[in-house]
Amino acid sequence: MAKPKAPAKETTLNGIPASPGIAFGEAFVINVDDVPVSEEHIAADRVDAEIEKFLAALAKTERELQKLVNSLEEEIGEEHGKILDSHRMILRDELVRNDTIKMIKERRVNAAFALTLVLEKVLTTFAAIKDEYLKERAEDIRDVRRRVIRNLAGQKVEGLSGLRKKAIVVAKNLTPSDTAGLNKKYAIAFITDTGGSTSHAAILARSQGIPAVVGLDDVSRRVKQGDQLIVDGVTGQVILHPTPETVSMYREVQARYRELEKELLTLRDYPAVTLDGHQIELSANIETPDEVEGVMTQGARGIGLFRTEYFFITRDTLPGEEEQYRYYASVVKRMQSDPVIIRTLDVGGDKIARWVGDHTEANPFMGWRGIRFTLARKDIFKTQLRAIFRAAAHGNVKIMFPMVTVLEEVLLAKSICEEVKDDLKRQRYQIGEKAEIGVMIETPAAVAIADHLAREVDFFSIGTNDLIQYSLAVDRGNAKVSYLYDGLHPSILRLLRDTVAAAHKNKIWVGICGEMPGDIHGALLLLGLGLDEFSAASYLIPTIKKIVRSVTYDETRSLVRKALAMGTAREIRESIDRYIHEKRPELKEFVPEAAS
Amino acid sequence: MVAGSAKVKNKNGIHLRLAGELVKAATKFRSHITVTKDAQEVDAKSILGVAGLGAECGAELMFRVSGEDEREALAYLVDLVDNEFAKETN
Repeated sequence: MAKPKAPAKETTLNGIPASPGIAFGEAFVINVDDVPVSEEHIAADRVDAEIEKFLAALAKTERELQKLVNSLEEEIGEEHGKILDSHRMILRDELVRNDTIKMIKERRVNAAFALTLVLEKVLTTFAAIKDEYLKERAEDIRDVRRRVIRNLAGQKVEGLSGLRKKAIVVAKNLTPSDTAGLNKKYAIAFITDTGGSTSHAAILARSQGIPAVVGLDDVSRRVKQGDQLIVDGVTGQVILHPTPETVSMYREVQARYRELEKELLTLRDYPAVTLDGHQIELSANIETPDEVEGVMTQGARGIGLFRTEYFFITRDTLPGEEEQYRYYASVVKRMQSDPVIIRTLDVGGDKIARWVGDHTEANPFMGWRGIRFTLARKDIFKTQLRAIFRAAAHGNVKIMFPMVTVLEEVLLAKSICEEVKDDLKRQRYQIGEKAEIGVMIETPAAVAIADHLAREVDFFSIGTNDLIQYSLAVDRGNAKVSYLYDGLHPSILRLLRDTVAAAHKNKIWVGICGEMPGDIHGALLLLGLGLDEFSAASYLIPTIKKIVRSVTYDETRSLVRKALAMGTAREIRESIDRYIHEKRPELKEFVPEAAS
Repeated sequence: MVAGSAKVKNKNGIHLRLAGELVKAATKFRSHITVTKDAQEVDAKSILGVAGLGAECGAELMFRVSGEDEREALAYLVDLVDNEFAKETN
């Protein structure tokens, strides 16, 4: 049997990295369990006092909620505030107030028990509701009950307001209501059971510049209050009960990371220009307007890819023109004259069932998605284009179409743009008439006809993730074949070379948006290939800028020349490693340690 | 007393936030107001009552209003559910 003092075993948990950085500390687990309530008899002369106590708890809860409503509306907007506002109305509900008081008087029971019984009756009504969504609103009633009962018991309300010293926040999931009471200087990292890179915890962490790992399954149950943790927001690993050796290893990683970060941020206001004066545009990919702040603090000079599908798939109905216009314009206005490249809806068949009826596909990646979908659903396409052209009146907007494989798609999409612009002008809207139109190059077919495409558009943006997947016929989510997914495969370099050549020959610019520039090998080759713009996740911007500013364009062009003559990704990688080792040793820290 | 019906048209029905808005509107009037759905009748000024109806998209709501401002109240509430809530995106 293990002695109680025996150190707990070190465990590594793998999740989704949601905000970079490394943090050490104690766990602060947010507890959302109900407080047990038992029936207590109240003496006749204590009934009035019990009622007083109940009313005081209601008033206190209401003040708490009011505070949350205010901070939420400030932080993330009115809509979220309104949800909590309805929690306040539950408190004021005559039913809650009068029935509970009546029960305290008549049955001479304690307030917590009386309230529980009263709300139990309400919850029975909810249990009978057939509609799943409406039924789930019972959670809101439980949430309110929990708050009142904790106040009756004189307990601190659960949630982040209880955080009084620096700690790693551990939770099932973090909602705006949870983080509203948070004193931000005490949270040094977030880790959660659920969520993706666009969950509230992830976005908040990135805006605070603290690490976060999400999607850790059952971390909130495994970790106990005060447990020692290491959070690595770069790899997505969380280490529970780390040994002293692990701690000192991570201290080094953290020190390196911090130093690098500091150094990188000093580059923020400098352009991405090589030692011999070749400059590229460095911009960021975003999914929601919340990310704009991060784009600016990381020193990007624009948005190279504004994905619009997130706005569509996180809701149950199609967003209308006004709503989309406000959404796009909020980004465009904040970026002022810096370019914002908006990609029209790129959804796959699997995500659009609720608008188009049951729709399943055996092979969605080769199916009804991107421009194929929007050209088939012109109603959706036109509404989006109207909103984009209107938003374009406020700044420097460019539009691009995803998943192009044939020239006709581009011609058709362009004529729809003209039609939309004419309509808008007739209706006397202010529009950004000069908005550039581009296409994503993400299929081998598009590369092969790049010369034809280039004559029809103002720019190309190469989507490397899809281009690699379609060219190498590899699903990188499939563990059996994912080793084949490699952006340094000679075929990819040739496709990139051909795309750049076709673009430049037709005097249009060509950029890249995908994960490839985030890797030093990829970044050096893309630079040498002559790409005019790199767009990557904002946290990668400082690293890419540092790499670009540390080399000469000439060197990278000669790296590319050599790479194009090589037959395997491995040779190419080794040749770049050799170059870094011999010529630019200061870049060694950017080479991943376990390069495959 | 006056009575009138309205139809729930937004996708998720009368969820908590909308129940809250309906209750807020009802409390602006002096009249006594009830809402009925499938023979379940509740006080229109109680958020728990209204949310507890579980009025899904397509449900028919019957308002019964009695008091000095009953006509005004009825017209207001029917319009709220029939027209304003129909604009909701969820």
